[in-house]
Amino acid sequence: MTQILIDGCVLSANYALIALGITLIFSIINLLNFAHGELFMVGAFMVYYVYGVFHLPFVAGLVVAALITAVIGALFEKFFFAPVMRSSTREENSMLLAVGTALLLDSVALFAFGHEQRGVPDVIPGVMQIAGGFLPYQRLLVLLVSLLLVGVLLWFVQYTRPGRAMRALAQDRDAARLMGVNVERTSMLGFAIGAALAGLAGGLLVTVQGISAGAGPAISIKAFIMIMIGGAGVVGGALLGAVVLGFAESVGYSLLPGSETYLLIFVALILFLIIRPQGIMGHPWG
Amino acid sequence: MLLSIRNLVVRYDRVLAVQEASLACEEGGCIALIGANGAGKSSTLRAITGLVRPSAGEITFAGERIDRLGPAAIVARGVSMVPEGRRVFPLMSVRDNLMMGAHLRRDEAAIRADLARLLDRFPRLAERIGQQAGTLSGGEQEMLVVARALMARPKLLLLDEPSLGLAPMVVRDIAFLIRSINRDDKVSVVLVEQNSRMALRISDHAYVLETGRVALSGPSHELAEDDHVRRLYLGVGAE
Repeated sequence: MTQILIDGCVLSANYALIALGITLIFSIINLLNFAHGELFMVGAFMVYYVYGVFHLPFVAGLVVAALITAVIGALFEKFFFAPVMRSSTREENSMLLAVGTALLLDSVALFAFGHEQRGVPDVIPGVMQIAGGFLPYQRLLVLLVSLLLVGVLLWFVQYTRPGRAMRALAQDRDAARLMGVNVERTSMLGFAIGAALAGLAGGLLVTVQGISAGAGPAISIKAFIMIMIGGAGVVGGALLGAVVLGFAESVGYSLLPGSETYLLIFVALILFLIIRPQGIMGHPWG
Repeated sequence: MLLSIRNLVVRYDRVLAVQEASLACEEGGCIALIGANGAGKSSTLRAITGLVRPSAGEITFAGERIDRLGPAAIVARGVSMVPEGRRVFPLMSVRDNLMMGAHLRRDEAAIRADLARLLDRFPRLAERIGQQAGTLSGGEQEMLVVARALMARPKLLLLDEPSLGLAPMVVRDIAFLIRSINRDDKVSVVLVEQNSRMALRISDHAYVLETGRVALSGPSHELAEDDHVRRLYLGVGAE
């Protein structure tokens, strides 16, 4: 029981980074980022190379993971999404483009990183015992760093000038432009930060679960599940979705054999969406 | 002239919204654009602020061409717009809405002073400073968007249908407010209104737009006496 709680907390905190990233991109650019899991995977590989292969400090690996994924996100936004969304009036176009960027990253990753499953040594070896449950220091580190990053992001969005501009842009595009918000730059920044959050989540979780070049799509699907549970485009919803999914996984993996957990999660999600299609905290569409 | 527009043409795809309109507003002046729905009033404002790019014509502000600039550059030069329909940021607090008005300013101390002054002027907003803007009443939201525009310290304020959908009592407050901004704060005003009676009363010069052209212009008190204007826009003498 304690073990389920501990694992649930660690997963939830890490998933919160993924869910907040995809929510940020969804609200500012109005785009469902299909490549979110791929950015997670790229971040994980950056930590694998910097920390696992070149033996530089773990922190350096996280910084590289954040920077590389932020640059990928910013470039995608500037050269792919911005031009397409400017010229096309149909939402399917940007959605197909998002799927395309996911496939692009998948193929490049397979070519660059190979198909093997990779892992890294523990940053802090050892295990802590709490009330009958085990918490390896490594997971504690993942938990604390994730919570710290979630806090920093929420602070940034709530209390800084660019964060406020992002919220304004998400709520009323034209009114934000009339306040002098630079829409192009703010969209790029939003995509970069969202992508970096995915990269950081991957860079943290690689120390616990390892990574392979094919991991992207599964993570993207988890991201979608979280925002469907919580409600798309709502920060509180993203956090709630992360907690629900994190605990559903930790309960499922400790009680059920193998792949049945996700089968049940999908069935539950379908039933849930029939009752509440806008998610727990989302607003009904239309 | 603070603002002068010469032969402005605004086109959306194949629709001509503004056709060769020319108008001007002097420093400290208050001009009104009146006309029916689709006469090109809002499109003219959107062209001034850079939300749409004019297809032809020239817009100068304080002696400088601004018709090829984007909204951010135009706001930075001192033009603020209150868009139609009370476009508050609904999920942001009243304070954050007001702070968005000062988005391009960096003079933090002066921003704080302006915020305090505006909250004195709008006690209703001060009471609701932490509340989400979407929960305010229509009149309060209109106050908020005007106050938000003032946070940019504009030289020229553009107002698009500020009275639309408001109760007559509130419309009177808004009219009083616009007048005070113009006379006391020395901000020049371009007012777009379907409520022609109110617009002619508070402006000193007015333009009547019909199908994208300036059909008539002159001092507001003279237009208020004009037969054509009285019949079509003030509802006097109509059946």
